[in-house]
Amino acid sequence: MEAEERELELLIGPQHPASGHMRLIAKIDGDVVTELRPDIGYVHRSVEKIAETKKFLQIIPLVERPSLPDTTANNLAYVMALEKLLGIEPPPRAKYLRTLLAEITRIHSHLYGLGIHGVMIGSSTAYMWCFGDREPFLQLAQELTGARLTYSYIIPGGVRRDMPKGFADKVEKVLRYMEGRMKDYFDIYFNNPVTRARLEGVGVLKREDAIRLGAVGPNLRASNVPYDVRKAEPYAAYPDVEFDVITEKAGDSFARVMVRVREIGESIKIIRQVLKRIPDGPILHENYEKLIPPKLKEQYKSTGIVKFPSLFANLKAPEGEAIARVEGGRGEVVFHIISDGKTSPYRLRMVTPSFRNVVLFEHLTKGARVADIPAIYGSLDYFPPEADR
Amino acid sequence: MQVQEILNMLFEPYIFIPLVFPGLIAAFIVLLIIIWLERKIAAKVQLRYGPLYIIKPLGGVIQTVADLIRYLFQEPIIPKDVDKLAFLLTPVFLFGLAYLPVVVIPIGPSYYAFRSDLSLLIALALTTLAPIFTVLMGWASNNKFSLIGSVREGYLVISYEIPIFLSALSMAILYGTLDLVEIAEAQRGIWGIFLNPVAAVNMLVLMYMSTSKFPFEIPEAESEIVAGPYTEYGGILYGLVMGASYVKLYVLSLVYSILFLGGWNPLPQSMIGNPFISGSVLFIKSFILVAFGAFLRAVYPRFRIDQAVGLGWRISLPLSLISIFISLLLVMGGVRFVY
Amino acid sequence: MSIDRTVRHVKAIITGTKYLFSGPRMTIMYPEDIEELPEGYRGMIEYDWNSCIKCSLCAMICPADAIKMYVSKEESEKEKKIVKRPGINYARCIFCGFCVDICPTNSLTFSKVHDMAYYTYEEHFYPPDKFAEGIKHVHKGRRVRVILDEKRGIKYEPVD
Repeated sequence: MEAEERELELLIGPQHPASGHMRLIAKIDGDVVTELRPDIGYVHRSVEKIAETKKFLQIIPLVERPSLPDTTANNLAYVMALEKLLGIEPPPRAKYLRTLLAEITRIHSHLYGLGIHGVMIGSSTAYMWCFGDREPFLQLAQELTGARLTYSYIIPGGVRRDMPKGFADKVEKVLRYMEGRMKDYFDIYFNNPVTRARLEGVGVLKREDAIRLGAVGPNLRASNVPYDVRKAEPYAAYPDVEFDVITEKAGDSFARVMVRVREIGESIKIIRQVLKRIPDGPILHENYEKLIPPKLKEQYKSTGIVKFPSLFANLKAPEGEAIARVEGGRGEVVFHIISDGKTSPYRLRMVTPSFRNVVLFEHLTKGARVADIPAIYGSLDYFPPEADR
Repeated sequence: MQVQEILNMLFEPYIFIPLVFPGLIAAFIVLLIIIWLERKIAAKVQLRYGPLYIIKPLGGVIQTVADLIRYLFQEPIIPKDVDKLAFLLTPVFLFGLAYLPVVVIPIGPSYYAFRSDLSLLIALALTTLAPIFTVLMGWASNNKFSLIGSVREGYLVISYEIPIFLSALSMAILYGTLDLVEIAEAQRGIWGIFLNPVAAVNMLVLMYMSTSKFPFEIPEAESEIVAGPYTEYGGILYGLVMGASYVKLYVLSLVYSILFLGGWNPLPQSMIGNPFISGSVLFIKSFILVAFGAFLRAVYPRFRIDQAVGLGWRISLPLSLISIFISLLLVMGGVRFVY
Repeated sequence: MSIDRTVRHVKAIITGTKYLFSGPRMTIMYPEDIEELPEGYRGMIEYDWNSCIKCSLCAMICPADAIKMYVSKEESEKEKKIVKRPGINYARCIFCGFCVDICPTNSLTFSKVHDMAYYTYEEHFYPPDKFAEGIKHVHKGRRVRVILDEKRGIKYEPVD
């Protein structure tokens, strides 16, 4: 039989239980995949073009929403680029609060990725446990910001709310709960021989290929490249806290999963340091604080909820361009704003980590088996709306 | 015909066993209960409730009845380009053949529908008929995902059939007979699982492999091939195929209880003549095995097809040969059974 | 099969059995139990007619164009100039809370309702007079408080 007749073309399309919002076109010879092409663009919503018609503060919720569940990274990168244009730096307490929310978001984003990966290889227990354990973290974020997932917490000049009373104790309880659960996770899922057989040796990404193809985030660090934007170009409160950059040597799917699990432990360490060292002080830059009318300023100081100065409704950024980089849960987020002095940017460019990881689909699945496609897909933590924007 | 004569005829073994217990009606009730129980067990392990709202004080136990009524009234959609005869008839045959071996299962030392010197062999041979229809279903559906699923089923059948036969036959060597009634009677003193544990563990794993329980749920792997051979089915046809694998597990676990767990033993001498009590003991043992298979859903992910086939050939086949060797050693060492 | 792998199989099954017999449950039985939301929760918006100074800052900053200014006929005729008041479209509102944070007189405040449902699309639009009536949604369930716990993660306790 000729090769063309043996090969089956399988469309693992959007209407598939384990494909997400994208189409994978696979050419299969028996049980071995000869070529896998991702067909992205199914949920493209032209976020960058819409941002040219909205004012600077209105873009904050807009750029948050493609990257569920890692919303804080986009929010933070955009506001950092805007602050570079405006030429201001937030006060220290605001920087620590931004770090606190960023690390809480990183933990529940990693749990999301691990849960989806678990159900793709068949373990519904991993899925339900990961999503159940996200719930205490979402409750913490709800206490701090008022919403469960799309916080819109970071504004140019600082943050929107201060920590409520008793917040540090609640955070400590949740962190201890998460540490206590890790043993059961390892017993039932990560050390399970079936999981190891499915994930070890599957989709090996070698070190040179990872650097050449431009992989980002835990996918890069699992191939023994210790690159993390929080150490390369520190921002917010990261210069003041101590943490390690987690790497693994093997580069296979199991190494990527292990990097994410251990990064949860590192985030717990960072949160504890932030809560211990957070300084007192204002949470909004003084240029904007003095624009708030005096009666509202008293209310803001007593309740801890910022009242926006009316300048924010028509904020103009001076001419110029600015770039900001942030390490999100899935990888590096880059924002580039070009402004020409009006209330809307001339051009907004956002580069999301999933968009840079798409190239790994074709590379890692050469010669793999059909059942390895979901194992590799889940281990990359690829989120289609984030890549398509 | 008077009511008394009808009742007497109903309780004749050759009607009672295939029809009521452990035949069609009991299999049906087990099916209804085990689907609900699987969802509740998985839910309890996964920190949630499972089906709850239909008759809330009872824990939603008639959820499966509600599902069955929904399946009966749903229109089964038949795609245009399928092989219609095969598409429509295979689920019926699959469900019917899955519980065919129940005719040779005895539920008491003197209460059986069909006694023969070869009943163990008949039971095992009849269980091999069902997978043919799964493969045929995949071909008839005219869908690439179904094709992949049915090819996987074919691979699995080849790798588990031989070790199952060898493990069961090693127990037959030990007891010296292939008759299921005599095998159950021979375990009055000690159960088969203690005599030959290798065969017991081996057959347990293979039993789960043959009926698509986790970690071997490969022909219907949801995240890779939608639903395997069952993709194009809807309505009552889907209800039938979903139930077929549970019924096959129930029948195989009846055979397993008789082979390894002593059948209806240990029972005091006074109660041994009563078919209801001995039948209930047998039923409880096999139900526990079915429930354990349902529990494994909450613990394991899914194997890949080449890993499962490798397990069948590289680990189960040598273990079954070792179990035959152990049986031969025990027989030559002087272990004898009285009936 | 090595000893290590067998031990790991057994450990997985034992952990599963442990949770089978003593696992807590994280489900909240909505809508019979309603979660008691914390202060500052970003729910639907309430509007105070009297303290509004009609500055229209809320409409200028809304990221989703949910708040629009409606001409208020009686007041325009009385004051001989165009008077506009805000009305909200809940089909577009994203519950970000920018309008509440920017209102200079605290006329817009948060309620704790987030789960209203409407029968028709037109019911989503609240012109200023309907906006000022407030959120008339009563939860008929038992109120429970969410307690974060070290052993169980989330516990629900009824609030009396």
